Amino acid sequence: MLDITNLEVRTGDTDILRGLSLSVKAGEVHAIMGPNGSGKSTLAQVIAGHDAYEVTGGSITFNGNNLFDLEPEERAREGIFLGFQYPVEIPGVNNAYLLKAAMNARRKHQSLPEIDAFEFLKLAREKMATLGMDPKFLNRGVNEGFSGGEKKRNEILQMAMLEPRLAILDETDSGLDIDAMKAVAGGINALRSPDRAIILITHYQRLLEYVEPDFVHVLSEGRIARSGDKSLALKLEEQGYEWVREAASA
Amino acid sequence: MGSRSSQRMSVISLQPDALSRVVDSLSGETPSELRQRAMQQFIKRGFPTTRDENWKYSDLSNIVDISERWLAQVDDAPLEALDETQIREIQASIDATWLVFANGHLHKELSSALTAAAISVTGIDDATDISIDEPLADLNAALMTDGIVIRIGENERIKKPVGLLFVDRAASRPLTSHARVVVSLDSGSSARFIEYHVSSGDANHYSNVVIDVTLGNGAELDYVRIQNRGRNHSQTQRLSVRLEKDSSIRHFGMDLGGVFTRNDLNIDIVAAGVSAEFNGLYIGSDKQHIDNHTRVDHRVGPATSVQEYRGIMSGRSRCVWNGKAIVHKGADGSDATQTNHNLLLSKHSEINAKPQLEIYADEVKCAHGTTVGQLNDNALFYLQTRGLDRQEAKRVLTRAFATTVVEKSPIVELRQLIASQLEARLDELDDGDSA
Repeated sequence: MLDITNLEVRTGDTDILRGLSLSVKAGEVHAIMGPNGSGKSTLAQVIAGHDAYEVTGGSITFNGNNLFDLEPEERAREGIFLGFQYPVEIPGVNNAYLLKAAMNARRKHQSLPEIDAFEFLKLAREKMATLGMDPKFLNRGVNEGFSGGEKKRNEILQMAMLEPRLAILDETDSGLDIDAMKAVAGGINALRSPDRAIILITHYQRLLEYVEPDFVHVLSEGRIARSGDKSLALKLEEQGYEWVREAASA
Repeated sequence: MGSRSSQRMSVISLQPDALSRVVDSLSGETPSELRQRAMQQFIKRGFPTTRDENWKYSDLSNIVDISERWLAQVDDAPLEALDETQIREIQASIDATWLVFANGHLHKELSSALTAAAISVTGIDDATDISIDEPLADLNAALMTDGIVIRIGENERIKKPVGLLFVDRAASRPLTSHARVVVSLDSGSSARFIEYHVSSGDANHYSNVVIDVTLGNGAELDYVRIQNRGRNHSQTQRLSVRLEKDSSIRHFGMDLGGVFTRNDLNIDIVAAGVSAEFNGLYIGSDKQHIDNHTRVDHRVGPATSVQEYRGIMSGRSRCVWNGKAIVHKGADGSDATQTNHNLLLSKHSEINAKPQLEIYADEVKCAHGTTVGQLNDNALFYLQTRGLDRQEAKRVLTRAFATTVVEKSPIVELRQLIASQLEARLDELDDGDSA
């Protein structure tokens, strides 16, 4: 589904990704871990299409199409979803409005009619209930005045409504208490299916106790330094990132 | 620069003989003595110029030019045919008691018949005071074709909005119109007013409207002003509100059209317990000039004034927001807040924003905040990652920026209309962007 080959990315004068390769197939859950500054968030932003990053080498294809030919909104309509580490507050734009606009943009791309208002509301309420969100959040400004946990639940709500083919969740677990963590993990697990892929970007092993990954990768200095199964996450938890770095440079 | 004693500040006035001839020809209900006095005062003081601090960014040269050309050919001028369809459309879309000023004349056939005893509308000669206190008010008093006095009786609560429609048409030659309205809400009364400016025609037009309002003890006024004039038409407009004890006003003004617009909103708090809220939205594109000057005088406390103006500028438009709050000596317990936010959509557009607080009392709470910025790139990207294309994302954020203040418009029945006018205006900005 997603094939990243020798990706090199810089911002300003700084090289951030230095030949990163990763292949993600439908049905798989990948966890990408790594110390601060290793390029995890950059990878997520580049896949989503942020123009602050300059791609200097390598390629990314999504279902065989060159991702760099697509605008961020086209990538979204093709089914790529990015759950932001820091979801943006947008006062004056109603949460329900954005959800509906996002769903309809995708549906239009798929030549489907716009979602019926009643159907939308029913679906939104269902998803919110499973995420433990008050329906009142629908009528608030997007992330406006939301707590950290509420913002992350809101990202998961958007993901649940949009049903993406590839979901990239950038540190969705950071700053969550245990209840929020369980709710968010529940939302992610509900999305798991043979025709979807999920990339979890996380600093800690904690989320992976609730969402079991098929593959764990460790990012260090702009490359994938090590890949393994979920036991790799446990080892990182016990021993920290230092040994990966040492092993990589050895 | 050195100056010689022989140099005088030149006064930019109108040709006295021509002005005098026109003023003499005007009958109406305005006392001729007042007209003459106003005219003399105007000739002496002339139009404000950019040398005046309050007019630093607003150059009236074009208005002077239109006025001169109008004066030169006013004698043999038949009235321009009105665009009655435009008027009827507005009247059909807003349920109000309409008073229509067409090219400065009160148009009785298009105005609602006022039969209620609660509200009286009479000629300007009934006004206890016709203000001639600054050049444009002087010019207005000298040249006003019609003026009216609206009075809401004691404890009367008028539900249906009173609509003041200023509609002008200048199709074949430059025209000016000078309308005046004096409003008083007697104690304990409440009313809702809509001030609506539209115009049409390809010739230049200058409208100079002066509205003086007095709110008696405990009176409540909701007020919405909409300006959507033709693109080669200019206006200066002044709304002065004097607030007596425990009275309150909620005001929202929206400027969308016109080539040159200057609004002065003067809030005069003369007794305790007053609450004044005034908000506004201005959207400039192309070469539009929109200037909002607000001034609130806190003469007695405790009293509260809160204002928020928001502006969106694209093309080569130039806007001005100048908010002055003066807390006079002894006006303890005054609370004045000013906010002005501006969104610049083009690098050629310009905003001159200036909050001014002058505080001469001890126990006061005053705050002001002004921002000038562009659309937030992070928010744009966020919306794009949700499938909205860049143009749509820009529209969503621009609309959101405006909606925040539009929602403060106090007359709920107008919200739909304001929203659709806003949408049409944003369409124009989009077109301008891609051009």
